[in-house]
Amino acid sequence: MPLLALKNVTKAYGGVPALRGVNMDISPGEIHALMGENGAGKSTLIKILAGVVSADSADIRIDGQPQNIDNPQTAHRLGLRFIHQEFNVVPALSVAENIFLGRVYPRRSGLFVDWRRLNDAASKTLDRLGITHIDPRRPLGSLTLGDQMLVRISSAFIGQAGTPAKLYVLDEPTASLSREESKRLFDVLRELRGGGASVLYVSHRLDEIMSICDRATVIRDGRSIDTGQIADITHDDLVTLMIGRRVEDAYPPRVGAPAVHTAFRAEHLAIRGGKSLSFDVRAGEIFGIAGLANVGQRNVLRTLFGDLPAASGAMHLAGAPYRPKSPADAWRAGVGYVPRERRSEGLILSRPIFENTSLPHLARQSRWRSFLTPRREQKSAVAQGELVRLKAAGPTQRVRELSGGNQQKVVFAKALAGEVKLLLLDEPTRGVDIGAKFDIYTLIREMAARGMGVVLVSSDLPELLGMADNIAVMRDSAITHVLLAADLDEERLLNLCYGRTTG
Amino acid sequence: MRNVFSIFATVAPQVNIMLTLLRRYGTLIGFAAILLFFWISLPDTFMTARNWLNISQQMSMLIVVAAGMTIVMVMGDFDLSVGSMASLAGIAVAVLFTVDLPIWAAVSLALMVGLVGGAINGVLISFIGILPFVATLATLTMLSGLAFVVSGGKTISGRVIPEGFSSFARGGLSLGEWGGVAITLPNLTLVAIVIVALVWVLLEQTTFGRRLYAIGGNIEAAHLSGVAVRKLKLIAFALTGSTAALAGIMYASRVASANPTQGSSLMLNAIAGVFLGSTFSEHGEPRVLGTILGVLILGILDNGLTQLSVDSYIRQILVGGIIILAVSTSSLTKHLRS
Repeated sequence: MPLLALKNVTKAYGGVPALRGVNMDISPGEIHALMGENGAGKSTLIKILAGVVSADSADIRIDGQPQNIDNPQTAHRLGLRFIHQEFNVVPALSVAENIFLGRVYPRRSGLFVDWRRLNDAASKTLDRLGITHIDPRRPLGSLTLGDQMLVRISSAFIGQAGTPAKLYVLDEPTASLSREESKRLFDVLRELRGGGASVLYVSHRLDEIMSICDRATVIRDGRSIDTGQIADITHDDLVTLMIGRRVEDAYPPRVGAPAVHTAFRAEHLAIRGGKSLSFDVRAGEIFGIAGLANVGQRNVLRTLFGDLPAASGAMHLAGAPYRPKSPADAWRAGVGYVPRERRSEGLILSRPIFENTSLPHLARQSRWRSFLTPRREQKSAVAQGELVRLKAAGPTQRVRELSGGNQQKVVFAKALAGEVKLLLLDEPTRGVDIGAKFDIYTLIREMAARGMGVVLVSSDLPELLGMADNIAVMRDSAITHVLLAADLDEERLLNLCYGRTTG
Repeated sequence: MRNVFSIFATVAPQVNIMLTLLRRYGTLIGFAAILLFFWISLPDTFMTARNWLNISQQMSMLIVVAAGMTIVMVMGDFDLSVGSMASLAGIAVAVLFTVDLPIWAAVSLALMVGLVGGAINGVLISFIGILPFVATLATLTMLSGLAFVVSGGKTISGRVIPEGFSSFARGGLSLGEWGGVAITLPNLTLVAIVIVALVWVLLEQTTFGRRLYAIGGNIEAAHLSGVAVRKLKLIAFALTGSTAALAGIMYASRVASANPTQGSSLMLNAIAGVFLGSTFSEHGEPRVLGTILGVLILGILDNGLTQLSVDSYIRQILVGGIIILAVSTSSLTKHLRS
């Protein structure tokens, strides 16, 4: 009998289906991989298991018993443990305190915490999982990210009194771990499996999945596609399963070829935590940057935007030396930026549209560079709004009241309000609905056609292949390849991201 | 087509509008009620030009400090050191008189004390990264101690204060006669009006003010939009320090003396005034004209209750209660609406 059996799990958000029918089962004592591209429905499925999101329909059985997981406490009682990056940990408390967080600490005379017993119990727990290098008395925040992950697992292993852990769910646990730390994590996971528990392992990293998982389930477009033994499957089969057949062209066509002259050039540019990068972006070119999560793409953009200093190297913008010391310098020089997190980095939600779009260009739009001319700002906001096909009541509408797609268009309107020579885009269509996505793609094409250089960082490989002229592949904060997008397909690009050159 | 749903469709917006009105105008309605109450209870003395000019003069220092406080509160920060800064500036101007400095020089130097003190707050907060609460709490103590050290703990008064300095506060701009009484707009009120006008222009009409509001709305987005967050914070705190110093000098002129604690009540009242005032604005952000209304509410309460011979401790309790009432009405209706 499977430990966990899911049948026909469906879920739609506001009419948009996220899961269209997922079937999957996890046996006791196995490490099971859950795979799929971004947006395939992995995180929705996990949230349903965790009791954070309720499914529209689902048959969930644990040890054969039908269960209704309607809140996180139920999930915990049923023995499900979720290891998130920032979940239930207090960096300032010690390792031992964190492991037993949520439980009653052992007491002396019923009043004072018995620290010795607490630390001993923590040591024992860590030992049982084969973790011997962590001192339970150290503050959690002083540990490496990998060790913090191990402490989280130890804490989940303990859980609440009387509810033994049956299934550990780890979502991209190695995204920010070093190779050594990942190895330690895998040892602990094998230890857990040896104790009879199961692990649901969500990852993009095929090599890891091949090395530690027993079985894998692939989901695509909200459906489970296949489940199989890892031993019977090859790396390339998994990639093909994940990508599926090619979706129809969702990208506006290219308009002419990029010009010959360069809009931007980086020469031996040393970004934070990385090696030196050199690349050219021609005027009218869309230069894509691909890579797994957090391999330095963001730091490249931040360096180009003057927000992170470059340790060495040089940049040129439209032929002239370009040395931005702050975002203000970058805006002045004609570099526009669409940050990844539009709500926390891109917009001032409480202010009107026109105040957002004019903010980087305020001096230019004001009298004697100091006195506001709201009418001029609003006129410019209206013009920019038309350019980006913004749907809003008017320039004075608060940004908070707009939909996600329209908010993103405000970010674009802001980036394009100056004389832009280079446009930096960080995941520009993340969390944007399909209609607005196409508008944004069209806009990016139009901007390129006007002669801007565009740098497009995206984790959405079809998006990169559909939009970019050239694609740079990043690994470990270095560019490993720069290739013509026309020469690439998704499978090859994914393999390059994973560091496999054949395939 | 009158069914259950159309009733919902017509009722809900009305409730919504009422809540919006209550949120936006609740404080204003309360203000009017307070005015009406005093007008009726004190028919002969309250609603007179003389009383109002008196209120305006009494409140001019607080208005100046509150206007300055608005500058930093727009960014979501605040400055606890304004009270002791005012005391120190008062002491500074008086001490400078004892060394026979001319009035203009003493006043300018005392204002410089405010500018420098405020800039120190700004450096601590924006360049060193200390929370405004902690940084200005520390400078509050230091400035207060400094005021005692410089003055020797004594009140400076008498002949060392030049006649020209203390007569400024007594003088004013004649507005002619009204009902047989000569009406004069006090100089201190005039100063307060000028400062409010300057702060209004700064916050509402310049790129500087717009950027401060952007910092208050989302500091990271403002930074990425090219706003020089650190520099602007430093300037804002320096301006707030200067207004506090100006208020201290005004106070010294009014009482023709200076003692090291005379500004201490200003800080809490200024912050209360900004909070009360922010309930007037549509989205609850501090605006300088709202601040002035907020400060006026506090001043009128004080004036009316004093005339009704209400004990000053009871007054404190009432003032605190009114602040809670105004701010909670504003935030409760906001919750109900969303």
